[in-house]
Amino acid sequence: MKHTLKSIFSSFLFLFLLFANAQETKAPVKENLNEGSIPKNAPVAKKNTATTPKTDSIITPVKKDRYGVRVGVDLFKLSRSFYDKDYKGIELVGDYRWDKKHYIAAEVGNENKTTDDERLNFTTKGSYLKVGFDYNGYENWLDMENIISIGLRYGFSTFNQELNTFKIYNTNQYFGEIPPLTSGQKYNGLTASWIEVVAGMKAKVFNNIFVGFSLRFNRLINNKQPANFENLYIPGFNRTYNGDFGVGFNYTVTYFVPIFKKVVKAPETKKTEKK
Amino acid sequence: MISCLSFSGCEKDDICDANTVTTPRLVITFYDYNNASVEKNVTNLSIFADGMEEAVTFSGSTLINGSTVSIPLKVNAETTKFHFILNYGSTNVIVPANEDIITFNYTTENIYVSRACGFKTNYTLKSDNPFVHTDAATPDLKWMQYVAVKNSLIANENETHLEIYF
Repeated sequence: MKHTLKSIFSSFLFLFLLFANAQETKAPVKENLNEGSIPKNAPVAKKNTATTPKTDSIITPVKKDRYGVRVGVDLFKLSRSFYDKDYKGIELVGDYRWDKKHYIAAEVGNENKTTDDERLNFTTKGSYLKVGFDYNGYENWLDMENIISIGLRYGFSTFNQELNTFKIYNTNQYFGEIPPLTSGQKYNGLTASWIEVVAGMKAKVFNNIFVGFSLRFNRLINNKQPANFENLYIPGFNRTYNGDFGVGFNYTVTYFVPIFKKVVKAPETKKTEKK
Repeated sequence: MISCLSFSGCEKDDICDANTVTTPRLVITFYDYNNASVEKNVTNLSIFADGMEEAVTFSGSTLINGSTVSIPLKVNAETTKFHFILNYGSTNVIVPANEDIITFNYTTENIYVSRACGFKTNYTLKSDNPFVHTDAATPDLKWMQYVAVKNSLIANENETHLEIYF
């Protein structure tokens, strides 16, 4: 448990380092553009409009951001359904670009997982929905559309559990360890809700296809527990730890459906308009 | 990315804490039959469950010489039969070994504890016949004069469940 938490934090740290790196490399580029264009642009553009409308090669391409819906699937859950006989699951992911940096994001999924612990074996079945937003902290060059984001989700799951077998913990071994007992007890109508902090990235591999992954840190806000058992696994939330925390991740492939384009207002044009 | 994948590997690291209250034993306290409020020490008492070769170990010994002992009940049955042999292995004719048999009748309840511990079993001694006290197969007179249930619910080891006066 402690080790898991440690590695969670360190990987978060690692992700934040990625952010930091991204910022550093971007910052100088931006400055260069401004320094290079402003002094040249203002006087030159007005005088030479008739003869040579476009002298400065830097400003010529009109930068447009594409807006639309991105839909896809979590490859991890999908592939795990094939190689892990105790797991069937699928997660569909989607986001919609709200403005330059914000995306409305959602995940919807269904899981059927049998957990075989040292002392318990149980099957969890259920569906979940996560809704929230992503903030893209990555400043793209030209028409690149990569995303390094941090976001929040509200997750809700409705599920049921079935206890398959269990062991009695008995410190006294006079009668020996008895084999696991078969239960078959079902716990229906369970629900849970939680908040997720999502750190993720998406890269455009070609045309409108993106691959991405995200790391999630969850905290339960509501958990309807069964009588004489516990929600040890919650679809969408994953394994529960003491103290209501959880972790998750996904590895997605998504298709971007462009709907409209918006011209990016470059900082230099803003300044000339004002004057 | 590799670090993410490695999380799935560290799931079974929880171990059941030794301080957790799990399946309890039946706690017996011995009293002086002639002075019922005073606890009395037994001498070299050995307790064998029916069919077992070894006696119950209590406080690291199979020979009990205190005024209290805790014995396990079978979690997967509703009766457990014990042979209580006082002065076990005695060759002294003045204080010979003496065997009494008590069969406990109870119901069990499996209660969830945690992921690491699994379940525990609590017992309730049946109210109509919580136990049957008989002499040994080869009668040697009962050494227990009076046996009484103190607490019929066996959920922890902090209290006496059965009192034996001798």
